[in-house]
Amino acid sequence: MRGRNGFWALAFHTLFVIFVLAPIAVVCLIAFTPESYLAMPTNGFSLRWFEALLDNRDFVTSFQTSLMLGLLSASAAALVAIPASIAIVRYRFPGRLFLLTLCMSPLMIPSIVLGVAFLRYLSQIGLGSTMPGLILSHVIIILPFILRTVMNSFGSLDPALDNAAASLGSSPWTTFRRVTFPLIVPGVVSGWILAFITSFDEVTMTIFIASPGLTTLPVRLMLYIEDSIDPLVAAVSAVLIALAVLTMLIIDRLFGLDKILIGNIDSDKNS
Amino acid sequence: MTRSNAATNTGHAYLELASLTKRYGQITVVDSLTLDVRKGEFLSLLGPSGCGKTTTLQMIGGFVEPTSGNIRLQDRDLVRTPPSKRGLGMVFQSYALFPHMTAAQNVAYGLEVRRVGRAECEERVARALDLVGLAKFGDRYPRRMSGGQQQRVALARALVIEPSILLLDEPLSNLDASLREEMQVELRRIQQVTGTTTILVTHDQNEAMALSDRIVVMRAGQVEQIGRPEQVYEHPQTDFVAQFLGKTNLVSASVRTVNGVKEIVIGDQSFACDTALPEGPVRIAIRPEKMRLASSGIPGIVKNRVFQGTLWLLEITSEHGTILVQQPNVGTPPPRIGSACHLDLDGRDIHTFGTGV
Repeated sequence: MRGRNGFWALAFHTLFVIFVLAPIAVVCLIAFTPESYLAMPTNGFSLRWFEALLDNRDFVTSFQTSLMLGLLSASAAALVAIPASIAIVRYRFPGRLFLLTLCMSPLMIPSIVLGVAFLRYLSQIGLGSTMPGLILSHVIIILPFILRTVMNSFGSLDPALDNAAASLGSSPWTTFRRVTFPLIVPGVVSGWILAFITSFDEVTMTIFIASPGLTTLPVRLMLYIEDSIDPLVAAVSAVLIALAVLTMLIIDRLFGLDKILIGNIDSDKNS
Repeated sequence: MTRSNAATNTGHAYLELASLTKRYGQITVVDSLTLDVRKGEFLSLLGPSGCGKTTTLQMIGGFVEPTSGNIRLQDRDLVRTPPSKRGLGMVFQSYALFPHMTAAQNVAYGLEVRRVGRAECEERVARALDLVGLAKFGDRYPRRMSGGQQQRVALARALVIEPSILLLDEPLSNLDASLREEMQVELRRIQQVTGTTTILVTHDQNEAMALSDRIVVMRAGQVEQIGRPEQVYEHPQTDFVAQFLGKTNLVSASVRTVNGVKEIVIGDQSFACDTALPEGPVRIAIRPEKMRLASSGIPGIVKNRVFQGTLWLLEITSEHGTILVQQPNVGTPPPRIGSACHLDLDGRDIHTFGTGV
């Protein structure tokens, strides 16, 4: 026996990985079925359900809505998380822990409770069933994810870097632009991705806020399943999985996936 | 040489600290410190951890705001100047090199934010890297460099902006012993080449003595003694300084006057000594290398002997406690452990301190 893992350990890990990946593979295969019910494509592949998906205006607009919502709310959350992280990591002020707990609290509150609360609150302030309202609620629930990774990035920086830059004549803004920000980019990017995925995936809360005219893809999918289950659902899933893999590949090319997820700053990549 | 320059250039203070005080709540870290730094000199702030030396340096650098007091650089008020406008170079204990920039980019940073032209910038960076012996390492990233090399980059980065003062915060403490000695020589050489007024914070007395024109011994936020290294070593004004700089023997004794001449009495031995203290009990300090074994004097028994190459270090048990004696290695080994001996000394080598406090 070679390596550090024994036979049983390897067998267990293999089975575990299969257990996790199998449903994804099955869904992708079903998407190519020529039948009109959920079935493994046994007698030939067909793209009919992908065509049906493109013809389905509801799914296409919902996909656009989800994409726009994810992009905007993840970016807005990043704009909030960066200054908030600086404040929480670098400074000691009254209410610091309160601010941190407040920003992290959406993780602890059940999404369904948030959904009901937002439904009421958004219509009260006139943002019910609007894109700004959706963005606002999504920023709040995805903030904890991006805040964590950005705070970790700041925490691992030597605080003397700021002082070093200042002693060299650098203004606080120049220091942020040329020293601090480049060093926290991995944390910001990984946090942004996490936030985007969380926003894109969100159903429980969004289902309360979405309206027939403004519905995200997961909500649309759920509403669709309530009526009928056909391979169209599998086709949507397959497209989403393909997009996720594509995103990962692009990020890996641009930054290196291990660097983003593990947070290791490998500056030699640019040299 | 800078040493003689600094000694003669006593007229006007370059950097002036006036009753500089820093309090954190109830704790006073720096207690109305007043100090003049001369142009071109190498000054060390020396003291145990918690004596306020680093806080003092950070107040000069602008990273800690003084509770009260003044810092003036050539009559310019520094306290109200932000760190980025002070024009001081600083080398941090952690070096604080920018990890995403090469050595050359690190050094160039201070020039770029000053909007120095590209050609001049490149030339000055090359010169600075050359000065610290890293001419060929400009393209390396800090984490691909050894601790000593990172140290040199940090030094080049601080010096390239031609700072009015170079501040060094325990720069050698992260290096191993042999590298530290090498860097001490380097630091001294570079300081003499550039003539930059330098303030070093250290807890290492050997480092302070090897590098400095003057040493400021600090204790509990206050200045204990200021002077040239040999001055502070040979004439410590307090027993704290005597103990902190080098090894020393502290012994209880008394002063008496015989025929108008003051004598120090240790047990039944007396030594002529020119002390300002009045008759009565005193504490005395005497360096191990100023004690010698003799046929008569203070009796004792050799408790331990340690061979240190050029020296023998002897621990002698006497009725005045354990006394350390350093003896140059002249070929003949000192008495064996357990044998009786006598210690002699010259009264002029005795430092006396009052028993008060």
